[in-house]
Amino acid sequence: MTSRPPRSASIPIPRASVSTSLNRNIESLISIPFITNGARPRLQSQGNRTASDDHHRGVGVAHGVRGASSSAVSTSPVRATARSFTQPVGSHFRTPSRSAATHEPRIIRAESSRNIDPSCLPSHSSSNSPVRTRRPSTAAVQAPSIQRNRSTSISQSRSTPASFPPPAYLDHSSFKHFFQTESPVSSLVGSKADSDSRTYSGVRSPPIDSDDDSNASPPPREPPVMSVASPDQPMRLPTRWSHEYRHSSLNLSENGRDLSFAGTSCNAERDTAAATRSVHPIPPACGVYYYEVQIHSKDQKAHISVGFAGPDVKLYRLPGWETNSWGYHGDDGCSFAAERNGTSYGPTFGLGDIIGCGIDFSTHRAFFTKNGTYLGPVFENVGRGIELYPTVGLQHIGESVKVNFGHEPFRFDIDYHVQQQRQLTWAKIMTRPLDPTLFVSAERSAATEEDAVPALPPATEQQTKQTINKLVFAYLAHHGYIKTARAFQKQTQGTAAATEGEGEGINSAVSGGGDDIEMDDVPGRSTLEADIELRTKIVNSVLSGEIDSALQETRDHYPRALVAEDGLMLVNLRCRKFVELVLETAELDKKMKAAIAREEVSTPETSELEDGMGMDVDDETLSGSETPVAANGRGGFRNGVVLDGTGTTSSLFTEAREMRSRPPSARELSTGQYEAALNAALAYGQTLDKDFKATENPEAKDIFLRTFAILTSSDPLTAGGAITEVAGHDARVQLANELNQAILRSQGRPADPALEMMYRHTAVCLLQLGLSRVGAAAFANMQKEFLDA
Amino acid sequence: MPHVPPNMKIPREEWDRRIHDVQISKSDLNRLIMDYLVIEGYKSAAEEFAQEASVVPEVDFDSIESRMKVREALQRGDVEDAIVRVNELNPETRLGSLMRIILDNNRGLFFHLQQQKLIEYIRQGRVMEALQFAQEELAQLGEHSPEFLSELERTMSLLAFEHSSSTPSAIIDLLSPAQRMKTAGEVNAAILESFSQGKEVKLVQLVKLLSWGQGMLKEHAEFPKMTLDDEAILGSGSSTSL
Repeated sequence: MTSRPPRSASIPIPRASVSTSLNRNIESLISIPFITNGARPRLQSQGNRTASDDHHRGVGVAHGVRGASSSAVSTSPVRATARSFTQPVGSHFRTPSRSAATHEPRIIRAESSRNIDPSCLPSHSSSNSPVRTRRPSTAAVQAPSIQRNRSTSISQSRSTPASFPPPAYLDHSSFKHFFQTESPVSSLVGSKADSDSRTYSGVRSPPIDSDDDSNASPPPREPPVMSVASPDQPMRLPTRWSHEYRHSSLNLSENGRDLSFAGTSCNAERDTAAATRSVHPIPPACGVYYYEVQIHSKDQKAHISVGFAGPDVKLYRLPGWETNSWGYHGDDGCSFAAERNGTSYGPTFGLGDIIGCGIDFSTHRAFFTKNGTYLGPVFENVGRGIELYPTVGLQHIGESVKVNFGHEPFRFDIDYHVQQQRQLTWAKIMTRPLDPTLFVSAERSAATEEDAVPALPPATEQQTKQTINKLVFAYLAHHGYIKTARAFQKQTQGTAAATEGEGEGINSAVSGGGDDIEMDDVPGRSTLEADIELRTKIVNSVLSGEIDSALQETRDHYPRALVAEDGLMLVNLRCRKFVELVLETAELDKKMKAAIAREEVSTPETSELEDGMGMDVDDETLSGSETPVAANGRGGFRNGVVLDGTGTTSSLFTEAREMRSRPPSARELSTGQYEAALNAALAYGQTLDKDFKATENPEAKDIFLRTFAILTSSDPLTAGGAITEVAGHDARVQLANELNQAILRSQGRPADPALEMMYRHTAVCLLQLGLSRVGAAAFANMQKEFLDA
Repeated sequence: MPHVPPNMKIPREEWDRRIHDVQISKSDLNRLIMDYLVIEGYKSAAEEFAQEASVVPEVDFDSIESRMKVREALQRGDVEDAIVRVNELNPETRLGSLMRIILDNNRGLFFHLQQQKLIEYIRQGRVMEALQFAQEELAQLGEHSPEFLSELERTMSLLAFEHSSSTPSAIIDLLSPAQRMKTAGEVNAAILESFSQGKEVKLVQLVKLLSWGQGMLKEHAEFPKMTLDDEAILGSGSSTSL
């Protein structure tokens, strides 16, 4: 079991922008799609919240487990926890495989929370309760009626389940990041549960032997709520047999793996047996799930059944006899699916044999293996619509089984098998006919589904290709790849013409053919190309800090982009201009100091004064706000300046302006430049300050405040925290991207390329399918199919 | 009794949040674009794109061009020329002509190429040559496969119908450009495969996956569906301004 490449837990640093690209275009620098000013603070706050939650239920507890149980086969619980908690997003929610401090979960989380924090996925509101493992309802409704054995071996049950990483074959599932084998919280809490006498929902929870089981102990007659409705929950894998759901004639070892029959042998008519099942059900998002049991019995025909069962099958019956249970029997080699007499399936099994049980959720068929040999698929509709558990049933004294849920390597080459199934499933998906409503507008598509209009003819290859041509073209235009767009269009038209030459109007038959993406057409080339060029130019201006020119061009050509959303874009641009001015000042400040330092060598006595000079913006700000600001970043600024009253900011500018008139003999050119720059920055700052006071828009206010905060640092680019975030190059990139989107939006175009949205939308569909227990989704691995080289 | 999960509704806001959380970078998307340009043979666009987007293609651009020449030949109906060009694709190969390798490994492809040749004979009214070719080259292929045989019969029935309006569409379709494109596509895929490149365009697969995923999910949840109509792709009022 090799440790997984750390992609999942890596820090999703936005792709580095290459500002020096020779081909400067919109693309060359924009690398952070989708982060808007508005979204950023929100994401952060969520990230923080989750971090603390995770601490509760994840990491902190994992440490606890480690400390508490030295017996744990330490396959690094922390690692697994970090993986599942920081990234419980499918592999398609991928993070670039940059750095990967996998053993530092908290650090990882801090980073990832800003980018893809898994918790940002869904339903924070509902499901983030810190103590989650124990469901109050379940704990409270410990129904006594079910045959459950909790009287025996309570002492054993406190044991820690042997910890192990999810088995390697599960890597074939695109949901692999969700899977979790440890249950740290429950183990820890479990050890205290009896003495704690905790109450849930006002009901005192009965002492339960293993808290592990609480999740898996539904009220008897009511099917459990199907698990996992939201993507922020990890999916628990079976790790051990259940104490709760175990017939009293079965003894279970401490680690939950060894099960032996300890009662009086069940009667020869085979009416009764003693069964158990795993604590956790199998997540269908596994795609294929597989486990093995090693048989110990007196002879080669054990009266043992292994297989799968629903949550509440009778424990005094062999798996396969009852509804919702499926089993392979050792004494006759038959397969049983809710039947009294089995169906001939495979060889008998007994002493020393290793029997493997697999379930393929993409087909809902089971399969078994004996000593590493595949015995073929069996049963239909296994586990459709119910939670499914590994199960085993014994009948005779002297019989026992040891289960391998992935604790150790499997006898059967399950990895290869799953790989085959994955490819098969993928091939099936790829050969399914396309939904023709995909290519028509949403309204028409909906109408078709409601039978309001006749069904569309099947989608043709031609239609697909034309659609992709449009997607590609729109993508190229969006990002300003103008030469590519031109060449592409020329070629698509050439191809269309060639095809049309002898044909009978393919293009006319299929909705106008490539006409939709013709640049040459009437208003044509000049308009579109000029548009892309202009947009690229504006974006590049922002990227190089020439905000004035970007502002001017936008005003001239895309005025609507500036007024949209209450003029936020204009605020953004103006604030950026201020930032650029301040940065220039800081740069000149450095130069000036360097010059002074040089002079210092000859005339050391002047140095003190000059040093003081260089810092004056900083000093002024500090005294104005009375806060040790730089280190505090944005928060400090807010407290100091804003809460003290808005007057502070303007007095700050005024005072600073007066300050600059204090000084130096113009013996240094750099000092003069510095002063001029400072002057300009402060003058601009004053106009911004007026705007700030005038605006009622909270978002705009927020932008202003964050911008002003950079005044609290003499060197915003290295100050770190929120200040650098506002001042740094990434902020330019982001602004450039936002401006590009605003311009496109003002033209009635999608703010994000449809191609990108198609990818994202597909990924979200698949994620939801996995959560909705559609096993085939596990084998549609977008990461693997589309991104891995 | 199976427990059917309730049909849940995912509100747009929630959906959009998930959409934004999907990790996909621009360079990932650029590689998908490059994949498309290369496989579909948009050589000059691929070259420009390599420059503009700094995407390194995994093939040399010349191979795109020669592959496209094969495709164009087939789309023109010049099967002979296509075969010659395939053979020129990689003359150094010591294993013999590439075409043979490709065709040996793919009887279906070989049959379809020959079938296309037959169709071209018929299209040109060269009835005698068509008959002779069918008997000498195609008949024996048909002997091995009932599928080929019925395809052959379908093709031969073109001779009977004389292109009248009463010709069944299943037969007249053989003369359509779509048939040529189909054959050209098969050859293209076979060549790509022989170069051990991916043969199916990833963007096509993505569209298929979207179609499948939405279709499946519809049964489990209500969610904002995505469509790929012109407005979704190009925006409103796009047809003129783009």
